[in-house]
Amino acid sequence: MSISYNKEDLKDMFDGRLPWNKVKEIMSNPKDDDRFDKYVDILQERVGFTERILLPLGEHLYIVQKGDERVVKCDCGHEFGDWRRNWKLSALIFVRNTVDKLEEVYPGLRCPNPDLCEVREYYCPGCASLLMVEAVPVGCPIIFDVLPDIDAFYLDWLKRPLPDQKEFRDMTCETTREWGRELKSK
Amino acid sequence: MHKGIGENGKTLKQMLEESERLYRETGCYAGITEPHLLKQDPIRSELFHSRIMASLIAGRETTRMVSGSPFVREVAELCLGLYTPEGDNVAQSTGIQVHIRLMGDNIQWMINKNYEEEMGINDGDFFIANDPVIAGMHAADVYDMLPIFWEGELVGWVSTVIMEMDIGAVTPGMMPTANVERGTDGLKFCCERIGSNDKLNRDFEHKIELSLDMADIFLLDRKGAMAANIRVREEIKRIIREFGIDYYKRATRELIEEERRNQIARIRQRMVPGRYRNVVTAEFPMANQPVAWIPAKRDTIRLIPIQMDILPSGHLVIDFEGTGEWGWHAFNGTPKAVWGGVSVATVQTLSYDGRGNLGSLLPIDVVGLAPDSLLNPTQIRKLATSTPWAPLLDIFGMWTHMLGIAYYLRGFREETFNYRSSGGWMVAGYDQMGVKRPLMAAGTGNFGPGACGVCDGVDCGGWLATPEVDMGNIEVWEMFVPQMEMTRRLEPYSVGYGRFRAGLAVPQISMAHRSQQLVGCGVVGTASDFIIPNLGQFGGYPGGRRNTLLLRHENLTELIGKRQPLLHNIGDPRDLAERFPGQVTDCGLLPVPAEIFEGDLLISCSASGGGLGDPIERDPAWIKADMDNGLTTEWQASNIYCVKASYDEVSKEWTVDETETAQLRQSRRKQRLSRAVPVKDWWRENRDRIVSRDMHPLMLEMYRSSMKMSGAFTQSYRDFWALPDDFAL
Repeated sequence: MSISYNKEDLKDMFDGRLPWNKVKEIMSNPKDDDRFDKYVDILQERVGFTERILLPLGEHLYIVQKGDERVVKCDCGHEFGDWRRNWKLSALIFVRNTVDKLEEVYPGLRCPNPDLCEVREYYCPGCASLLMVEAVPVGCPIIFDVLPDIDAFYLDWLKRPLPDQKEFRDMTCETTREWGRELKSK
Repeated sequence: MHKGIGENGKTLKQMLEESERLYRETGCYAGITEPHLLKQDPIRSELFHSRIMASLIAGRETTRMVSGSPFVREVAELCLGLYTPEGDNVAQSTGIQVHIRLMGDNIQWMINKNYEEEMGINDGDFFIANDPVIAGMHAADVYDMLPIFWEGELVGWVSTVIMEMDIGAVTPGMMPTANVERGTDGLKFCCERIGSNDKLNRDFEHKIELSLDMADIFLLDRKGAMAANIRVREEIKRIIREFGIDYYKRATRELIEEERRNQIARIRQRMVPGRYRNVVTAEFPMANQPVAWIPAKRDTIRLIPIQMDILPSGHLVIDFEGTGEWGWHAFNGTPKAVWGGVSVATVQTLSYDGRGNLGSLLPIDVVGLAPDSLLNPTQIRKLATSTPWAPLLDIFGMWTHMLGIAYYLRGFREETFNYRSSGGWMVAGYDQMGVKRPLMAAGTGNFGPGACGVCDGVDCGGWLATPEVDMGNIEVWEMFVPQMEMTRRLEPYSVGYGRFRAGLAVPQISMAHRSQQLVGCGVVGTASDFIIPNLGQFGGYPGGRRNTLLLRHENLTELIGKRQPLLHNIGDPRDLAERFPGQVTDCGLLPVPAEIFEGDLLISCSASGGGLGDPIERDPAWIKADMDNGLTTEWQASNIYCVKASYDEVSKEWTVDETETAQLRQSRRKQRLSRAVPVKDWWRENRDRIVSRDMHPLMLEMYRSSMKMSGAFTQSYRDFWALPDDFAL
């Protein structure tokens, strides 16, 4: 018999309010097959937009179906473009690359060396939520943390193919190459 | 023609080749395309598996009763596995499950080296191995392997791994860091027969007594492993008598195939297919290490890009393309050691139901281990391999992070978390009884794992290398090592911040005490020092820098005489040096070996994995609770979480001012928008720096090393920064 949880318990768990004994039970039990659908239902009820959520992408970000496109969208409504292009390129960034800036978070002994390490904070331009923090070596390309294969997910795993298939490819560098061409033309 | 000791007179080599061929041809373990035996009678098969598991766990406890090592008795750094005749793992006990596949690799090495014909493999033979060139993590992890015979036929193996406190390496004696060449690692055993007829050979005992400072501990560990292995072997014979040999042979193999299928089903049920990426950096500060091989004396940093592809088939590929070059140090990995990391990460993230075995690993592939990269040095036989753990724990801590993202996307937020490792002090010298020996104290439970997707990380509750973290009894460590432990307090500044915070770590502050002579050295389970690991989750921050410090009081005798407090917690990390002017030394990731004196405080200060979510969205009530418990400071509440709180001296509680907190949080959002820039602007500015090679020389060398190893990495770097096709750093 497959396990299933009611949405209220799942909501409480996501919010950190479900009592630990229940959380532990959910952790230890076999996983519930209907989790994804309930998860998306809960998130869809909470966001302020009507586009269908195809896949959550973080605490505030979702891949949504917008017309024929699949775009990354913040729960505040701000959009970051096609999901195959790293959404971070459309974010605001603040980089902690000096001792003073790093010590605002990592004081004294805890401070990394800004000659080697920088801490990049990506904010939503719409609501100023901190969407992702990157602690990487100086000069490192922006990390594209996850590029989900949405069509394979819906077609092969959920057995509910999406109406229009999209090519699964990373489009990030098309943007950065374009930025490079703009530099040359100036 | 040689009559083999395997099934129907086959040699083990023939059996191994056949098993591998069947897997290649069918994609199913041992060619079992239609498993049926376990399903025919589920109660019987559950009983069968439970009996095997019980024997392995009982074997592990047997070792703990025999051993004299605190590593075994206190923190249980050991594990047992049951194997098929071909060396494929069927079941594993609890414990350091890193080694489950590696022990099987050693069995297969013996099979492929034709031990059966050239040396003979007999009932009651004990074989020992600890050479990472064959398969292993480092020499300190010693494998004891025992064949299981049934009516003259070899029907399986049982193997035990124990981490040793003394392996005869250069100072400090085990897991040294100031070593480069192979001979400095200590004793190496390449699957040697050390016992027959269930007895340890006397010549082996003589060798150990002459070779090791802690021969008694080492030999007791062997006897503990022998007792465990014999106990398991005898229980397996009872199981065979009860279930029948045909059932045993088929069912053990079906357990592997069943687990392979279950692993694919788990991945498909719990994750999302696609491409996941991140990077790990590994710092190797060798310039000042006292090694005789002078070319080793240089500092390097290596980049390790990690790509995990979750395929629509449910298989999982981990790709290390772009990893930088190997170096003259003891921290290079090997492809086998990489599998050790996969093994232990897997049992903590996917296969945690007690059914983990080789089948858990079959749906996973590891690629991109280029020859002469950090994870695959072709000169491995010339190198010390005392601590491949240093980059590998960081790599697989990151892998748990990447798996956590996949869980989060699918809705299983309760499985989202990550791991961080650490390093610190190890001493060698004279103990309280005047005996010179290695003196490592290794409570493993002081780590702070990353936040979970539905709650804070467990304080001092998680470490990658073993699912069962345990600091052990402080009093036992104090008997074993000439030092007094000064603290067992959770360290607020170790944390990774977020809506859910990481678990806090416990620093180790040890006072050297009652030794006539001591040397302090580094021990590392991480290669992260000045570059913190990229473990922040969805807006959470990774924990900060970890520290290895030496505090040498100017006035210790006076302080003790006046009964003044000594250092029992780190306190504010900004002013430790000011509190003890001229007395604190930051020793970095690899402390250069130095003499330690009575009263010196050796401080190993871990940091946590990543928080999850925006810290200014953390519930103020949780922050108040943390402040009441001493887990969050007023500075952190105000500066990180934007919470205004005041302390009531009478009630001894903090109170949150909700109005001021809301204002602080609103102001923080405004500050973010005013300080940040569009990524495109930042990209342009940084591209200029890269074009002009305006980077620290260690960074330039790091990227050059990765580019030298991988054309694909080079191209992706050029693509991101829109650099010409002939651009080189």
